[in-house]
Amino acid sequence: MTASVNRRITGRAPLRKRRLSLSARRSAVGLAFVSPFVVGFIAFYLRGLLLTVEFSLSDLSLRPNGGYDLAFVGLKHYIYAFREHATFKQILTSSIGDMALDVPLILFFSLFMAILLNQRFRGRTLARAIFFLPVLLNAPAIADALELSRAMMLGGTSPASAAVTQAAGSGGVNVSYYVGMLADLGMPRAALDYIVGAVERINGIITSSGVQLVIFLAALQSISPALYEVARIEGATAYESFWKITFPMVSPLIVTNMVYTLVDSFVSSDAINLSFDTIFGASKQYGLGSAFSLVSMAALCGILMISSGVVSRRAFYQN
Amino acid sequence: MKSRKLNRSVAGNGLLFALMAVCGVFMVLPLVMIVNNALKPLDEIFQYPPRVFVRYPTLENFADLFVLLAGSWVPFSRYILNTVIITGGGVLGHVLLASLAAYPLARMDFPGKRLLFSLVVLSLMFSWTVTQIPNYLIVSALGINNTYLALILPACAYGMGLYLMKQFMEQLPTSLMESARLDGAGEFRIFWSVIMPNVKPAWLTLAIFQFQSLWGNTGYLFMRDEQLKPLQFAMQQIAAGGAQRAGASAAVALIIAAIPITFFLCAQSRILETMTTSGMKD
Repeated sequence: MTASVNRRITGRAPLRKRRLSLSARRSAVGLAFVSPFVVGFIAFYLRGLLLTVEFSLSDLSLRPNGGYDLAFVGLKHYIYAFREHATFKQILTSSIGDMALDVPLILFFSLFMAILLNQRFRGRTLARAIFFLPVLLNAPAIADALELSRAMMLGGTSPASAAVTQAAGSGGVNVSYYVGMLADLGMPRAALDYIVGAVERINGIITSSGVQLVIFLAALQSISPALYEVARIEGATAYESFWKITFPMVSPLIVTNMVYTLVDSFVSSDAINLSFDTIFGASKQYGLGSAFSLVSMAALCGILMISSGVVSRRAFYQN
Repeated sequence: MKSRKLNRSVAGNGLLFALMAVCGVFMVLPLVMIVNNALKPLDEIFQYPPRVFVRYPTLENFADLFVLLAGSWVPFSRYILNTVIITGGGVLGHVLLASLAAYPLARMDFPGKRLLFSLVVLSLMFSWTVTQIPNYLIVSALGINNTYLALILPACAYGMGLYLMKQFMEQLPTSLMESARLDGAGEFRIFWSVIMPNVKPAWLTLAIFQFQSLWGNTGYLFMRDEQLKPLQFAMQQIAAGGAQRAGASAAVALIIAAIPITFFLCAQSRILETMTTSGMKD
């Protein structure tokens, strides 16, 4: 691509030297701005991607004294993943199904909360921090400490209590205790299961919308107050100014957040866990695991292209 | 000047507040537990049935923690220094490089622009837990294994920042840049004194994200020397220490949680300041 552009520029250079040198200079400035990032990006991320593709097409064997050998096997791992592997296809489709359900809810919730938290009230910075807490508390040392204290509370770190600890929800609330109590009170088991599932999903949605919420907040704060002032002078109601100003102005960031949410929920999905276990689990099948993760990535890529294509056509861009 | 509230009923406000409060309680519960556990004496930590709130608060756990830290092989201040270097370098580098690269992507034309952007978005979709082995190979091939750079450089070139900054920069009106250009500003000048102040909410947000991820990084993959390991690693060793460390571990959680929360509060209140002063008039 670059080569063809260069040829075009040099080919026309004698005729319209000034104008072309200006546009060439412009793109040179652009490239100069981009290049530090690109160097790092190619070095760390693009090469990682290419290495994974290479691994997925090979059988990897570790040498006993360090290093590894690759034997090219073509599409063997991909064929195995689709034709023979017991659960891969089911896990992939169920991950996608979960995503289809969660992503719109996360987007809706985070936009709604961002609008509430963007209003002027006492202690709003604190309120924002509270909704960002799940992200802020996402550190390994904190996770270990919480896990330890939960284990302590539920009767020491003996193996017998492990099952109880597992049943306790991630929010630090002993869910099983309440469920058991409600069951004793004569609530039908099916209804209970449904409620517990719904609560867990709501909790999951709230805890995973922290980043999106902060991005929406930044978007809302980038809207010029003058727009609202004008709308108010012209007699628009709050409802109208939401649909005519707020929503169009944050719509490009809805696309951004959608991409982020899709990626974020997919990276921690069962499909990715499966490929992680395949690689680092007992069997250490590096090639197969890489193939799993590449297939999942391709699926995600397709979903992203379709959904962002649909949404971004409706988004509003300044220029 | 007094502005009139538009169509807001007291009942509506109350309902919204109640909704926020319910969701907020969900969010704040782990923090409440962390704070209370850190202040609980040992017998209350082991108490069954558990109580959320501490009855006889004490600083015993912190004293225990400092005794543990004083006995560590590498001086504790070294861990703090490591974390400051890694987090500071990573956040500054990432915000700077990502913004620099996002400006031409959003506002200029150059060959390969679309290809580059698609590649960056593609890289976002890749799960980095799976690619730990390629990551390790790359870092050791570059010869920066077991140095600060092994954590700082990948953080600088992370695609999410570029993506976010580009989306925000596209939102700015072209007239802003045109007027600067007419006044004789060069591209870098436009970037530094026109674009960056106007997307301050965006890069402060970016700084929050990157701070959080670097602060939580234990560096276990790349850091072999004990002198180079970040604070998070030392803290995790203590927090995972089992029943006999329960008190110190609770204190660790509070300290580890307090710093990103403080950073977030500072950054968020700075975002608020900017938007009242930076008004674009057009």
